[in-house]
Amino acid sequence: MLIKGGHVIDPKNKIDGIMDVAVKDGKIFRVASNIPANTSKKTVDATGLYVSPGFIDMHVHVFAGAEDPGYAGFGISNGFGSVAPDDFTFRSGVTTVVDAGSSGWRNFPAFKKQTIDNSQTRVLAFISITGHGMLGTVHAQDTTDMNPVTTAFIMKEYPDIIVGIKAHHYQGHDFTPVDRAIAAGRITNKPIIVDFGSSTPKLSIEELFMKHFRPGDIFTHTFSGSATSELAPGGRQSVVDANNKVKPFIFEAQKQGRIFDVGHGGGAFVWSTAINSFKQGFLPNTISTDLYRNSRNAGMKDMANVMSKFLNMGMSVQDVVLRSTWNPANVIQHTDLGHLSVGAEADVAVFNIREGKFGFMDARGSVLNGTKKLEAELTLRAGKVAWDLNGISGPQWDAVSK
Amino acid sequence: MRIKTAGISEFIQHQFVQIVQGITAVLVLILISSAVHAQEIDILLKGGHVIDPKNNIDSKMDVAIVGDKIFRVAKDIPANTSKKTVDISGLYVTPGLIDMHTHVFHGTDPNSMTANSYGGLQADAFSFRAGVTTVVDAGSSGWRNFPLFKAQSIDRAQTRVLAFLNVVGRGMVSRFDQQDVSDMNPVMNAHMINKLYPDILVGIKSAHYWGDFTSVDKAIESGKLANVPVIVDFGEHTPVNPIESLFMEHFRPGDIFTHTFSEINGGRESIVDEKSRKVKPFVFAAQKRGIIFDVGHGAGAFNFNQAIPAIKQGFLPNTISTDLYNLSMNAAMKDMSNVMSKFLAMGVSLNDVILRTTWNPAQVIKRPDLGHLSVGTEADIAVFNLKKGNFGYMDVRRTKISGTEKLEAELTIRAGRVVWDLNGISVPEWQMPATTN
Repeated sequence: MLIKGGHVIDPKNKIDGIMDVAVKDGKIFRVASNIPANTSKKTVDATGLYVSPGFIDMHVHVFAGAEDPGYAGFGISNGFGSVAPDDFTFRSGVTTVVDAGSSGWRNFPAFKKQTIDNSQTRVLAFISITGHGMLGTVHAQDTTDMNPVTTAFIMKEYPDIIVGIKAHHYQGHDFTPVDRAIAAGRITNKPIIVDFGSSTPKLSIEELFMKHFRPGDIFTHTFSGSATSELAPGGRQSVVDANNKVKPFIFEAQKQGRIFDVGHGGGAFVWSTAINSFKQGFLPNTISTDLYRNSRNAGMKDMANVMSKFLNMGMSVQDVVLRSTWNPANVIQHTDLGHLSVGAEADVAVFNIREGKFGFMDARGSVLNGTKKLEAELTLRAGKVAWDLNGISGPQWDAVSK
Repeated sequence: MRIKTAGISEFIQHQFVQIVQGITAVLVLILISSAVHAQEIDILLKGGHVIDPKNNIDSKMDVAIVGDKIFRVAKDIPANTSKKTVDISGLYVTPGLIDMHTHVFHGTDPNSMTANSYGGLQADAFSFRAGVTTVVDAGSSGWRNFPLFKAQSIDRAQTRVLAFLNVVGRGMVSRFDQQDVSDMNPVMNAHMINKLYPDILVGIKSAHYWGDFTSVDKAIESGKLANVPVIVDFGEHTPVNPIESLFMEHFRPGDIFTHTFSEINGGRESIVDEKSRKVKPFVFAAQKRGIIFDVGHGAGAFNFNQAIPAIKQGFLPNTISTDLYNLSMNAAMKDMSNVMSKFLAMGVSLNDVILRTTWNPAQVIKRPDLGHLSVGTEADIAVFNLKKGNFGYMDVRRTKISGTEKLEAELTIRAGRVVWDLNGISVPEWQMPATTN
C-alpha cells in the first residue's frame, strides 16, 4: 500500500513535510517524496491530510470484565470500570495503548488472556504495585499486597508487554506504594507511573519528584489540580500555586527527566491549569486519555479530542504528535514504536485537522472554544486498514463488478 | 453642621426609599415570577429544528425538560423560565434514537460469539456519541443466560438496553449452538418474556440456522405465546431457503427480516435480483402485508448494489439499525450516525431517516412509550449537527459512495441528563480561578 501526498510528521526521524509512505508485508517499506503509484498494488490519496506514526495512548484502562469489588468503587480491574480497547483506538488514530495499572501481578495473566490477546490494538501495560490491580480504593490501601519482588517476577515473565509499575489512590500520609513501585522498577529497570496524592493533609509533590522519583518516572494527571484546589486541605498538590503560577520545582523536575503525563480522565484535566501551564512554558511530556468508563462520554471522549485540546491551546501539530508518538515510546522504553522508520511495524495514523467552531470540555464542566479538531481518517495497524472514516482506501461502489 | 445633619438624614431617607423600592421590586418580581412559574424548567433546548415524526413536528421549536421528562415542546419558550438554557440554533433535535439491532452482551467467555463475550460490546461506548439512547440486543442471550446478561450489561448500562431473546436457550454462543433444535423451547422463551421480563424482552431472534424453517417456526411459536415479534437473520441455509416463503407463509405481520440489504454468495437470498437489479415484486407485497425490513448493517450485511437500486425503485427499509458488534464497529458500519448518514447520501430524506430510527422501531418493538417527544415521556433526546462537506461511506465490500452531509451527535440526553456533549454547548466557558493576591 502506498499513502500518497500526505504531510508526514515523524518526530523521531525529523520528517515534517509532504512525503509518500509505502507499506509492505505489514512493515514500513519506504518514506520518500514522489514514490510512483504504479509501484504499488494499492494507492491511497492522502493529499491535504497528515500522516504520522500510529498514536500511543499511554494511560488507559482496558481490563474490561465482570468482576465487582462489592462496594461503590471504580472496578477497573477485570471490571465494568474498564473499556474494550478496539472500541476507542483506531477511530482516534491510536494503534498502541498502555493500560495504567488495571491489573496487578496476581491477575495480569488473566488480563493478558482476556484482553491483550483478544485485541487488534497493541495493548501494553503498567502493572499495579497492588497485587489485585485497581479493584477499588479500599484495596489500594492494602500495603501488605504491594510486593516488589513478585511484581518484578511477573514483569520479567512478560518483558515485551509490561512496561512499568503503577502506584495509585493511596490515602496514607506516606510514600509506601511509590517506594514499593520504585523498588520493583529498580529490579526490572522500568519506570513507574504515579496517580499521586489522595491523603489529607497533602503530600509534597516536590518531595515525590526530587527525593523519590528516578529520571524517567512518570507523574500522571498533571493538570488535575488548580489554584483553587491548591487551597483545599487534602488531595493532590497542583503543578500551579494559588496564584496560577507554575511552581518553579516543576520546571526543574522536568529538566531532571521526570515525565509529566496528561492522563485526562473523568476528573483530572482543568482548563485554567492546562492553559496557565502552557502559557508559562510548561508542556506535558506525553498526552494521554485515562480512558475508562467515567471519562469516555465526558470531557475526555477519545485521544483525538484530547490532542485537539492542545492544538486549540496553541500547541503546534508537530508538538502534539511528538507527545503522542515518539515521546511516549521513549518513556515506556519501546523505541520500536512511535515512528515510521523503514522496517518498523506499519502502525500509521492518517488524520485531518477540521476547521470550524468547536468546543472542548474539561473535567470541571467548562469549555474552551476553538477552531481546530483532529479527526482520524485512516488508521493502519501492522499494515492493515483498521479504520477508514470516509472510505479513502476503497473504490467507488459502481466501479467494481458484483 | 446643619447641612451635614440634613445631608445625613437626606441620605438615610434616600436609602430608605431605595430599600422600599427595592423590596417592592423584589415582591413584584416574585409575584410575576410565580405567575409564570419562574425557572420551573430544568433544561431548555432553544432554537433547534425539531423532527418528531410521531407528533408530526418538523419545524423550529424549543424543548423543555423537567426532571427526567419532556415538559413542553413549543415555539419561543422564554429562557428565563428555565434553570439552564442550551442554545442549539442551527441544530436538529429528535427523539433519542433507537438502534434496533445490536450485540451488547459484553463479557469474557473466550469461546463465545456474542453471548457474554468480546463479540458483544459495552452499550455506552457507542450509543450516546451517536445520538442513541435505546439499543435492542438482537438475540445475544437466550432464556438460559438472559439473567446473566441483565445483571452484567443491562443493569450496568446508562443506555436503555432492551432485548430480543434468542430462540436457542444458550443464545449466540456459537454457530453450532444455533443448530440445536432441542434447545429451542417456545414455552420457556414465552415464560421468560411473559412472567419475568416483559419490560425488557421485546421479541425473539432466529439466526444462523443451516436447515429448513425449524428455527424460524420455533421463534414464531414463541412469539405467538408471548405476543411479540420475531427478528430473523435468515443467513446460512445451503441451498438457500426462499425468502418469499419466509415473508408470505411463515412470518406474521410485524415480524422482522434483518440484514435487508445483504448480498452474499449463497446462504441468504437477496431482496434485489442480482442480474436485473430489480427489487423482487413479493418484497413490496411483503412490506405491504406488514413484514418489517430492518437494515442490520453489520460487518457483512450491507451492500450498495442492493441498497441503491432498492431505494431508487422506491423500497425503503422500515427500520435503520447497526448490528453493532466487534467486527462491524471499525469497518464500514462504524456507528448509528454513520449508518444514518449513509442513507442520506443515498438520497433518503432526513425526516425519513429519523422516522426509521425513532418512531418506527418503537412501534416495531411495541414500545409506543419510546421514540417521540410527547409531553410526559422520558426525556431521551438527540441533538444533531448536519455537517456539510465531502464525505465517503463504505459498504461491506469496502466500496464507497460519496455524500455531502453527515450527521454528528452534538448533545444526547438520557432521562433528562446530559450524557454526551460533543462541543460543550451545555456548559459555560472556562474561567481563571481567583488568586490569593
